[in-house]
Amino acid sequence: MTKRAAPFLACIGLLVLWQVASLALKNDSFPTALEAIRAIPAILGDKDSLVNFAASLRRMTIGFGVALAMSIPLGLLMGRSRIVASFFNPLLMVIYPVPKAALMPIIMLWLGVGDFSKTLVIFLGVSLPVIYHSFEGAKAVEEKMLWSGAAMGLSAPQRMIRIVLPAALPEILTGCRTGLVLALITMITSEMIARQSGAGNILFNALDMGQYDTVFAMIIIVGAMGIGLDALFERIRAYLVRWSEPQFDIPLSFS
Amino acid sequence: MNARAVTSDLVLGLVPIALLIAGWQALVSFGYAPLTLLPPPGLVFSRMVQQLLTTTFQLQIAATLFRLFAGFSIAVILGVTVGLAAAVSPAINAVVRPIVRVLAPLPKVALYPALLLLVGFGHQSKILLVSFDALFPILLSTYYGASSVEQKLIWSAMAAGTPSWQILFKVVLPGAAPSILTGCRISLVISCIVVFLAEMITSTDGLGHVLVTAARTFQAVDMFVPLITISLLGLLLNGLLELLRSYLLRGFPEA
Repeated sequence: MTKRAAPFLACIGLLVLWQVASLALKNDSFPTALEAIRAIPAILGDKDSLVNFAASLRRMTIGFGVALAMSIPLGLLMGRSRIVASFFNPLLMVIYPVPKAALMPIIMLWLGVGDFSKTLVIFLGVSLPVIYHSFEGAKAVEEKMLWSGAAMGLSAPQRMIRIVLPAALPEILTGCRTGLVLALITMITSEMIARQSGAGNILFNALDMGQYDTVFAMIIIVGAMGIGLDALFERIRAYLVRWSEPQFDIPLSFS
Repeated sequence: MNARAVTSDLVLGLVPIALLIAGWQALVSFGYAPLTLLPPPGLVFSRMVQQLLTTTFQLQIAATLFRLFAGFSIAVILGVTVGLAAAVSPAINAVVRPIVRVLAPLPKVALYPALLLLVGFGHQSKILLVSFDALFPILLSTYYGASSVEQKLIWSAMAAGTPSWQILFKVVLPGAAPSILTGCRISLVISCIVVFLAEMITSTDGLGHVLVTAARTFQAVDMFVPLITISLLGLLLNGLLELLRSYLLRGFPEA
């Protein structure tokens, strides 16, 4: 019981801390937690902002989905074949420290400010951790299981799907969880750079126009989105890998 | 693995990078992409060398590096301290755990407007954002590293008469070192990315600012230069950390 309630208590504690801090600072641009919470219904009730949220979520889902569909097979192949691994590893190492959302201005020049460039940026941001974790997961699969599979007449693609994929699944899902956090971050940042629609657009426009209540209310909403998606993913993960030993229950967040 | 295998791996790894650059050059030479949108690789690299030699550009790099290191150091100090404290004291763990659970999946970029309003547009807001983003991987890996230190080692130290606060520094901290350094490595890449993004959002100097200025004036060549520079910086810092790691972990069996 207390274990379930602890994150809620932490939320409440943080909000109380905020309230006390803002009352103590008495800064015009730092509204109290209550004021920010009071501004939330106005945003959620507005049709325009709901359309924006839907657009954000749609781009994120597409980018995340396509990234998973391409990165997991690539990562698994890299984990099982040394040639594929040494082919892709240096390239990925070079791309890894590039801030993906910073590619936005360049991609905008080529593809415009529409959905496609933002989805592409999200895709790029999600891919790398998923590839990396699938790679590590596939590398750690026990050889004996593969040999037994081969001895029982499974072909190479079958072994990949029936043995390597399930064995690497816990590790892959860790990568997906990191990818989920990254997808949110790239989503917000790309919308901040190309302000055309989306949650990041509302947030940074409010900042520029000095609507501080809205800024802080949006921070709460985006934060709740992150925590909610993470909790949902954790449910799915717990179901998919219910046979495995419980691993780290807190993700290592990349951003 | 013998030397020849390493060389052939290296050659194979260079192929996709070479293909990428060749493809880039081909796009330009065959006229699929106008020069204003996609400058040829030669032009970009010569421009980069030329920029790296100017004082103004070096000052921008220095500004970025200063923020990066300040934020990263805060994250390391705070993350290792809190992680260790949570691992050794159940009371602290009970408080820290739910807070981390709530804050880790939060997209920290969304907090940047709040930081801007609170501490202003100078160095502080960017440094805070970097340390906030880099904190959680270090904290979590310290926590897991410290909690997986073998109990027998602690018991033998106690049996040998080591006072308990010395056990923390002589047994637990070195035992957790490999895990802590892995966390630092993840955080370093994150710091590179975040400092760049923060400078893109609001700044008057730094590499991110160079990119935004170039984007506003449609100088495609100048847009690539800061991006490549930050990636090279990321690779370089990663390499330095790797050296530090192999020095610090020289006594460990398979680090």
